[in-house]
Amino acid sequence: MAQATLPVPADGTEAPGHDAHGHADTNTGVTHTKLAMWVFLSSECIFFGAFISTYLLYRGRSAKGSLTPAEVYNIPFTSATSFILLMSSLTMVLALAAIQRGDHRRFRVWIIATALFGVTFIGGQIYEFTEFYREGLALKSSVFGSSFFVLTGLHGLHVSVGIMWLLTLWGLSMQNRLHVQNAESVEIAGLYWHFVDIVWIVIFTVIYLIP
Amino acid sequence: MSDETNLATTDDPALLPGTPAERAAESAHGMSAIKSSELPLLPGELRPHPSPFQYVMVAVILCVITALEVGMYYIEKDLPRGLYIGVLLAMAITKFVIVVSWFMHLRVDRPVFRRLFVVGSVGAVLLYTIILLTLHVYE
Repeated sequence: MAQATLPVPADGTEAPGHDAHGHADTNTGVTHTKLAMWVFLSSECIFFGAFISTYLLYRGRSAKGSLTPAEVYNIPFTSATSFILLMSSLTMVLALAAIQRGDHRRFRVWIIATALFGVTFIGGQIYEFTEFYREGLALKSSVFGSSFFVLTGLHGLHVSVGIMWLLTLWGLSMQNRLHVQNAESVEIAGLYWHFVDIVWIVIFTVIYLIP
Repeated sequence: MSDETNLATTDDPALLPGTPAERAAESAHGMSAIKSSELPLLPGELRPHPSPFQYVMVAVILCVITALEVGMYYIEKDLPRGLYIGVLLAMAITKFVIVVSWFMHLRVDRPVFRRLFVVGSVGAVLLYTIILLTLHVYE
């Protein structure tokens, strides 16, 4: 089977900014936006690592009488929201596959499904935070509460930014302003979205499942 | 400077994969008529992306691992603590690597992206492990 490369358009010119082998016309041979996104995600590992470490540092060091993780966590509920976020990664890659094929109808379906999964996850997080607050766990109630809410809240903030990004792509597509040659824009949004998914994979295991 | 962030105004016909008949079949029956190997590589990629079917299979594997993780939680008291934590961490790392390799396409991208991400992720783990050990968190 012939290896696919970025084809030369009908007028004989190369796609803007790329050679015939899909290499960007930059010093590194890769596009600035994709390189910047990977540098950003790499730095985000350090960012989230700091908050996960802070949680581990403070876990079990709350004053006597404070709520403990085992008393407040609702594992079946959090498992369901984790499953939803995992499925949103599937719909995200299917959206990318659709735009690469020039199938705009399916792209819109998958991208809006991804955003809706994200909204459902955020809704679940708001419900969880509300329940914890009713049970007496607040941002200022203990070091466990502080580190938990800051970590999961920051993750929720990242998911919210991702949702806005996805809705922007959906809006551009609805206005016929997103085309097959913009597939890389979708891929970069996907990289961000999958990153918030892998951060949750770590949070779910380290924060919720390990006592 | 490349014009990499500008949005196009129309689909470039030369960049549309497959034949018009294949595209019509795909539109009617789903993303199966056009193979991933027929798609143009995105900038920075060395090999084609997985097919939609492969994506679904990867998601099934991720779901199975997640179900096993949750199942482990309910038998935690029957297992030695070290084994329980070790297996859970192994499953989380497996899911992490699967998502990064298949969904984030690091397995088909140029190595520069993989190196960048490994520096950040492995560096973070090493850095914070040293910090937590220094602060005697595991005692």
